[in-house]
Amino acid sequence: MKRRSDEIYSDLMRELEEGRYVFTGELEPEKAGDVNEPIEMARELLDLVVACNVTDNPQSFAYVSSLAASYQIQKETGMECVYQLRCADRNRMALLSDVLGAGVLGIKNILALAGDHVSLGDTPDAKPVFDLDSTTLIKLIRTVVSEGKDLAGNEIHNPPKLHVGGAAAPGAAHLKAEVAKVKRKIKAGVEYLQTQVVYFTDVLDRFFKELGPVDVPILVGIFPARTFGQADFFDKFVAGVDVPPDYLENMRATKQIKDKEKRKEEVDRVNVEFFTGFLEHLKGTPAAGCHMMAVGYPRVIPALKKIME
Amino acid sequence: MIAQEQKPIEEILGYLKGKRKVAVVGCGGCSTFYRTGDKAAVEKRAEELMSKGKEVLKIVLPFSIQACEIEKSGVWLEKNRKKLEGYDAVLVLSCGSGVQVVADYINEKMGFAVPVIPANDAIGLVGGGPRSLKETCQSCGMCELGKTAGICPLTECGKGLMNGPCGGVREGDKCEIDEKKDCAWVKIYKRMEQLGELDKFEEIRDPHEWSKMKRPRLFEIENPVGISEMMGALPGMLSTMLGPKPKLDE
Repeated sequence: MKRRSDEIYSDLMRELEEGRYVFTGELEPEKAGDVNEPIEMARELLDLVVACNVTDNPQSFAYVSSLAASYQIQKETGMECVYQLRCADRNRMALLSDVLGAGVLGIKNILALAGDHVSLGDTPDAKPVFDLDSTTLIKLIRTVVSEGKDLAGNEIHNPPKLHVGGAAAPGAAHLKAEVAKVKRKIKAGVEYLQTQVVYFTDVLDRFFKELGPVDVPILVGIFPARTFGQADFFDKFVAGVDVPPDYLENMRATKQIKDKEKRKEEVDRVNVEFFTGFLEHLKGTPAAGCHMMAVGYPRVIPALKKIME
Repeated sequence: MIAQEQKPIEEILGYLKGKRKVAVVGCGGCSTFYRTGDKAAVEKRAEELMSKGKEVLKIVLPFSIQACEIEKSGVWLEKNRKKLEGYDAVLVLSCGSGVQVVADYINEKMGFAVPVIPANDAIGLVGGGPRSLKETCQSCGMCELGKTAGICPLTECGKGLMNGPCGGVREGDKCEIDEKKDCAWVKIYKRMEQLGELDKFEEIRDPHEWSKMKRPRLFEIENPVGISEMMGALPGMLSTMLGPKPKLDE
């Protein structure tokens, strides 16, 4: 899709429209009364990525509001934020309020997600909401921005100007159902897609093949792990994500290195070695960019970007 | 029917602290089918309470006499009016509906002031069987099954999504929340594929109309089924059930 320049509201969308290869990062607010750490990380990522996702209660652990964090990070650092918004914790009224609030606070991108079920997180007795799902949240945001109306048809004065992205899971157990859902999100008006973390090139290839050509840019999610524990967590607990055994073993071996600096060097080496192959392969796919979920690990990004040059 | 599980005796004893005389009321409806309020369940609960020093009055509601239908259960409560009068608490072995109907009747119609306590936890409107049942309907007031190939996404999908599957489908098409459960949306996909209706899968389904579920929902029935009508249906039912039956694999 080609947008007029006055229909482009964010740097992320501008770069995607211009067909530049896009890199985005990820910041995670914590269970804290401040967002000092993600702000610190945002400063380190400033020259490396066009925008950063700010996670919304990931894995259903309740953290600082992603809207508050997105606003504060943008204000303090100038990093453009992708405000992640999940349906798990809010009904359609609260979602609309937050979308309008995001516009007021100068947020230009929202990633619309269903979200993990609350029973998987640190507050398992909470009432799960899921009044909307990712598709109808995408539709809500597009209707608000493009038509100045909410889903009930109520008019919105001076609607916000922002873009909406959606997620896709290339490693989904039932790929055909997943791809049909992704196509449904495209019908709902999603403006770009970001995939769940992928480690296997054949998983990615199968996904692109099943999806076929689409008119929406796709960012492929990668996760260079800063520690063995991070990689192991993904492998064990994140549905639809398998971590290659060789990579996992190499990461495990870094735990034996006593010297902190040497261990860091080895972790970087393992990541760059693994992702060189993956990213070289990515060049031959329809991916429009790469979403680097290297939370707390910005130092690896320059080396990864270099592979894509 | 409404499936139930029995509460742990410790929780019940907590509610009965300081109450010496306890009436134990069963239920001849769903609780009898699921063995949580039948005669044996009443006997077992009574024994547990007696072993803790309680004096127990047992009121068994026979098959088809549901605690939640006062026209029926009220007859058994009235039969025991004199005995009930001196009791400190009533424990009802039914779903929450039965507990509340009995509580209302005793406190408002019979004129006693007696705490009525639940013995069971209702876990939903289930279907299937004979042994394995599953919650299939949440009585939401606006049935969506016509849009989803006869599988309710609000109930069968752990997240109740109208447009799934979510990104968390596990190996073997299992649910993100519980790997013992099937992903409802993969089931819907497969059913639509079987029906040659996969084009419907990609349609955007509107958010559910929760306005149809303003609680408590009220319901009027002009001509309620009485005992004699119910009993009149029994011979036909029996002759059909004693004939050839479908093979039920578990």
